[in-house]
Amino acid sequence: MSSKDTLHENVQKEISELTASISEVVAGFRKLQRPLIESHDKVPQATSQLDKITEQTEAVTAQMLDMVEKLTQREDEVLSGLETIREKIKAGETDSIDSLIETLVAKTGDNINEGYQIMEALQFQDITAQQMDHAASLLEDVEVKLHGIINSMGDSRVQGPMLSTTSKKRAYDPNADMVTKKTDQDAIDSIFANGQK
Amino acid sequence: MADLKILAVDDSPTMRRIIINTLKRAGFNDVVEAADGKDALAKMKVEKPNFVITDWNMPEMDGLTFVTTLRSQAEYANLPVLMVTTRSVKEDIVEAMKAGVNNYIVKPFTPATLKEKIESMLAG
Repeated sequence: MSSKDTLHENVQKEISELTASISEVVAGFRKLQRPLIESHDKVPQATSQLDKITEQTEAVTAQMLDMVEKLTQREDEVLSGLETIREKIKAGETDSIDSLIETLVAKTGDNINEGYQIMEALQFQDITAQQMDHAASLLEDVEVKLHGIINSMGDSRVQGPMLSTTSKKRAYDPNADMVTKKTDQDAIDSIFANGQK
Repeated sequence: MADLKILAVDDSPTMRRIIINTLKRAGFNDVVEAADGKDALAKMKVEKPNFVITDWNMPEMDGLTFVTTLRSQAEYANLPVLMVTTRSVKEDIVEAMKAGVNNYIVKPFTPATLKEKIESMLAG
């Protein structure tokens, strides 16, 4: 065998080994591609959930502030009315007291209703808590995938338990929403009316 | 309403407080609470409620499993169960009905809706 032939053979062997290495790297990248794409899709979902929480929290807070403003204003009127009653009693002017008391009773009733409306609006806490759990769960999935990618690259710099293995048990509705209901109460009632016949 | 004892099941302490306050304002004063399906099953034996209001999404045991478990026991076959949940997808509502839920309200709810549903279930 001539030295030219040996050189040719060596080059061929090198090229074939290089090709095998490149194929391995390409296969490795393909393996990483799926978790990367999945992670990439989950981050915008989590961001959109967090944006929704901010919007809905702001809307409900504004709604509650409106109610609290009305309630405190009415409380001021009640206090002032009570002061008037005291003065009228001192002055012996008792004729108009009954109607004044009626007005104050009505205002107090309105305040109680307003208080219950505030309580009703506080349901947003449960809904935003579920939206937060959904966002957290999406981010935990991303964490698991990134952890897997880093491990498969043989990098040991990421240490310690993953958040997803230490966090709480999550139970949430991914569609929980303060404003939008996919089925309204009338349609629900009709499902039950038809189903229970 | 004198003999009515309601069990309110929800993993959110805020929601339990809201439901209990709403019920008391509507005149339903005898209310006990549970934090999830597992807790609710234990309370069923001790408290013996005759009306159940339950959430769906809860850790440990969800509302659907809780209702299915209840319905598998003869003594709870006719117990009125109202589900109060954020889940508003039609398929979920149908699934809840098939599991044995008698009526369904989507959160956020108004006190009037809750009162009306309980009264209609008690009447019917």
